[in-house]
Amino acid sequence: MPELSVLLPNLMKRLPEFWKACGDTLLMEVWSGAIIFIFGLIFGIILTVTKPGGIMENRPLYQVLDKIINLFRSIPFIILLTALMPLSRWIMGTAIYVRGVIVPLVFGATPFFSRQVESALAQTDKGLVEAALSMGSSPFEVIFRVYLRESLAPIIRAITITIISLLGLTAMAGAVGAGGLGDFAIRYGHDRNMADITWVVVIVLVLGVSLVQWVGETLARKNTH
Amino acid sequence: MIELEHIIKNFHSDKDKNKNIHAVNDVSLTINDGDIYGIIGFSGAGKSTLVRCINLLERPDSGSVKIDGVEMMKLKPRELYKARTKIGMIFQQFNLMPSRTVFQNVAYPLKGMSKDEIKNKVRSLLELVEISDKENAYPSELSGGQKQRVAIARALANDPKILLCDEATSALDPQTTGSILQLLKDLNKKLGLTIVVITHEMEVVKHICRKAAVMDAGRIIERGDVFTIFSDPQHPVTRNFVRTTSNLSKIETLLKDNSPMVKLKPGELMARLVYIHADVSEPLISFASRAFDIEINIILADVEIVAGAMVGGTVVIFNGPRDKINKAIDYYRSKNIRVEVIQDAGA
Repeated sequence: MPELSVLLPNLMKRLPEFWKACGDTLLMEVWSGAIIFIFGLIFGIILTVTKPGGIMENRPLYQVLDKIINLFRSIPFIILLTALMPLSRWIMGTAIYVRGVIVPLVFGATPFFSRQVESALAQTDKGLVEAALSMGSSPFEVIFRVYLRESLAPIIRAITITIISLLGLTAMAGAVGAGGLGDFAIRYGHDRNMADITWVVVIVLVLGVSLVQWVGETLARKNTH
Repeated sequence: MIELEHIIKNFHSDKDKNKNIHAVNDVSLTINDGDIYGIIGFSGAGKSTLVRCINLLERPDSGSVKIDGVEMMKLKPRELYKARTKIGMIFQQFNLMPSRTVFQNVAYPLKGMSKDEIKNKVRSLLELVEISDKENAYPSELSGGQKQRVAIARALANDPKILLCDEATSALDPQTTGSILQLLKDLNKKLGLTIVVITHEMEVVKHICRKAAVMDAGRIIERGDVFTIFSDPQHPVTRNFVRTTSNLSKIETLLKDNSPMVKLKPGELMARLVYIHADVSEPLISFASRAFDIEINIILADVEIVAGAMVGGTVVIFNGPRDKINKAIDYYRSKNIRVEVIQDAGA
């Protein structure tokens, strides 16, 4: 494709590297996303049920979790990245590449997603919980059959937002040698002034975000009655 | 049988640790099988908290909750969940699950049954509350009355012996209220269901309850059969409630507005005649008018059938010689009619 190599001279010369960067970003998203999803969901549920007036009220547990989440949310991600390097080395065996950045990504986005889940679950009408309890549901049943089921749409929206903000974090992670699109754009687009690379990365990211947003919104709407 | 003994439930104010709100303050109450029992009170009287003490959605701070002789407070969690399936509950806001269809809502509490069994059970419940045609609708597509019918079907899914109704008709228009109350009455008869009705509307109690308790500030201030409460309320709060349902209270407005209807001529006397006993059937007004040779002018009348007996009274203006008026009043009192003089234009 000669036209493309005129329009995007630098990118076309580094196509294999570009595809690898795309793949690395996707890999970071998927791995950290899956772990964040599990932990965030669990923490969000714990926050919801243990808070004062919740169905499994537990002040100490709630207070501790609440404070830890606030602590991690107040640390800027770029600092978290470097601060967690030793932990990352210990858990993953390395602090660079995709493997090395999963730990900070999880620590960076889990608190955010936990809060998102908490506020999604908070939209569940208290009356539904009360009705379920009156019908003999145990607290665990209330969690799975009422809280999670009835707030499926807001949870899907929370996932959407978290995936998108995670994309921002993966770009930052490029700065400590994680690879991915962020790293690709900084190294070539910025450091070597290759504007076409910056633009293409931006377009890819915009398309990615739009796709995630569209899928999320469609699923959320399907689950709203 | 539901036996509540010395139930106390306090809520702690978040702002002030020393401030306790006595939501329920030493309430004892027995509700027999097959009864329709009303608990009435203004909002904040503690009636919703009290009814939640029956299925332990609120755990009393002290007291005893016995259902068919079983002490609910001593049940282990698993046993409590099981016991709750035999106590249905419906709510003011219906509390149907918006993401589930009517069928799925009613099926929610059914456990340990095959798909076919669930289908049959749900269908028969929907038939019972006369809403079979909405099986696949979502709650958002239903009217208030329809939602409450679905909620009733759901509450009855595990064949409970008791149904708790927490302001179940307060969000409905008067006509729909009537049809839901009729349904509850039918279910009481058909299934032998014990029904506890929490409400701030005296109309509701009047319509379906046989017995009632009046709550105020966490205590039961008056209780008994509905007829007695209506015809002869003792406590001021109860009187207030009874008055809200009676036309006779309009006289106060008329007096305040100085309406020409209630302006007395010299020698006239205005009084409220209230029937206390169930056997008022004689033509008391015209009889007294003839017997004592005075005019008795009816301004307002409100007689209703409560629990199968007449309750109510009239507001009248007596016109005639004072001694004859006094004789008429004595006659009424001897017939167990309460006579309250409202206005007297002098002898």
